[in-house]
Amino acid sequence: MADVNDVNNVVEALKFMVLGMGVVFLFLFVLVKVVELQAKLIAKYFPENAPQTPAVPAVNVTEDENRRVAAIIAAVTEFRNKKS
Amino acid sequence: MRLKQIFIALLFALVALSSSAYAEGHEATTHQEESAEKKAYQPKSISELASSFWETTGIKAIIDTDDGEMSADPAGESKEHVMSAFESSLGRIIMILIVFTLFYLAIAKGFEPLLLIPIAFGGLLANIPLAHMAGPEGMLGVIYNMGIANEFFPLLIFMGVGAMTDFGPLLANPKTALLGGAAQFGIFGSLVGAAALGFDLQDASAISIIGGADGPTSIFIANRLAPDMLGAIAVAAYSYMALVPVIQPPIMRALTTKEERQIKMGVQRPVHRLEKLIFPIIVLMLSIMVLPESTPLIGAFAFGNFAKESGVVDRLSDTMQNSLINTVTIFLGLGVGSKLAADKFLVLESLGIMVIGLLAFSAGTAMGVLMAKLMNKFSKEPINPLIGAAGVSAVPMSARVVSKVGSEEKPGNILLMHAMGPNVAGVIGSAVAAGVLLSIFK
Repeated sequence: MADVNDVNNVVEALKFMVLGMGVVFLFLFVLVKVVELQAKLIAKYFPENAPQTPAVPAVNVTEDENRRVAAIIAAVTEFRNKKS
Repeated sequence: MRLKQIFIALLFALVALSSSAYAEGHEATTHQEESAEKKAYQPKSISELASSFWETTGIKAIIDTDDGEMSADPAGESKEHVMSAFESSLGRIIMILIVFTLFYLAIAKGFEPLLLIPIAFGGLLANIPLAHMAGPEGMLGVIYNMGIANEFFPLLIFMGVGAMTDFGPLLANPKTALLGGAAQFGIFGSLVGAAALGFDLQDASAISIIGGADGPTSIFIANRLAPDMLGAIAVAAYSYMALVPVIQPPIMRALTTKEERQIKMGVQRPVHRLEKLIFPIIVLMLSIMVLPESTPLIGAFAFGNFAKESGVVDRLSDTMQNSLINTVTIFLGLGVGSKLAADKFLVLESLGIMVIGLLAFSAGTAMGVLMAKLMNKFSKEPINPLIGAAGVSAVPMSARVVSKVGSEEKPGNILLMHAMGPNVAGVIGSAVAAGVLLSIFK
């Protein structure tokens, strides 16, 4: 990093930018494609059926619980806001 | 409920810390006196006793600018130097005022209190004169050497974040992951800016990672590329993450039209459990093939997420996302805070880091929004450009901000889940960007 190439640093940084953004996009693009493929394969070979049903009530319970908690939080916030 | 518990736990931790800090300082001074007395005990008059006590008080240490006090550095003696008059007096006072500002922001404004409180309190402790808490023997120095100097804590945090992250929204609409890529322009754009400001390339890279809006990644990279600037970089990263609700909305509004902000996005498809289970493995495999440099980060992240989605080790994933990450957060905060000592932080570079960090954050947000606009033009399903802003990681803060702005524009338009997709992709994106930067300086 000699001080001679002060301008070069910016050029180097631009090169880093091209490389970096390229790799990030490529990585995410491949990831998107793989995930889409995965979704298709899973939908084909493991359709949502029997093994999924026992899990459904459990999910609903937690969701209900979440909703209840959300409602309680909302009520409390409302109450506090009115108070202040 | 949980927040309250965390708050109480933090409060206790603070009380415990402050009392241990007191005990430690107290012990140190009595120890010093003892050894001095043992060497050559002379009967002392009361005025001599009083004056020797005065020598050890903090008031004297701050008033007397020329006492040749050594700075404290966790790396040990080699890096210590005699503090300048400014560093040992006015500098401390300035830093303590900065710390109180951080307290104010954390408590009154609610900006990332879980991080700012430990960091700021660590900063307060690090600026105590004579106690040398940030030195290799001091509490903060021990913490720093234990997990920050060797990059251990950031990885533990990443593990916890992985265990907390739900990739469902991303899997439901994988295309939005590209928004998380666009926002990484914040990193590389500000890298050019930092280079133009005259930082050398390695320092510039360490600073620009702030644009990734990801605390652990910033610490990880800063430690590898520019350990001297770690404190300022970590503080900048966390303060800007805390300031997401202030920084992002104006940029989001400036770059979008009212109609665009009102776009409603459809309901997300349900995601199969297997997809979620396989996803962390896919991410890890891809990064093993492309960027082994970034696998410490992505590996820890994937492990946390895999443990969560496997569904059979709830105890482990629960520990990772609660007790472990909370414990590490306390240590990480205090350790980073030790770099808020006046002689480390009050240097010109810190100002540059703050400016570039802000630039990086804004550029990332802007690029994410612009990319989302572009995708909206070409996509079959409508995409609200606001969700692009969530592409900077800052999970889940920026997704919440997006959702808030969206529902202000059109009540009932809930973008939270849609914004979570780019948001978690941003985490992966910034880890990849970090790997690229590391590979350059390998």
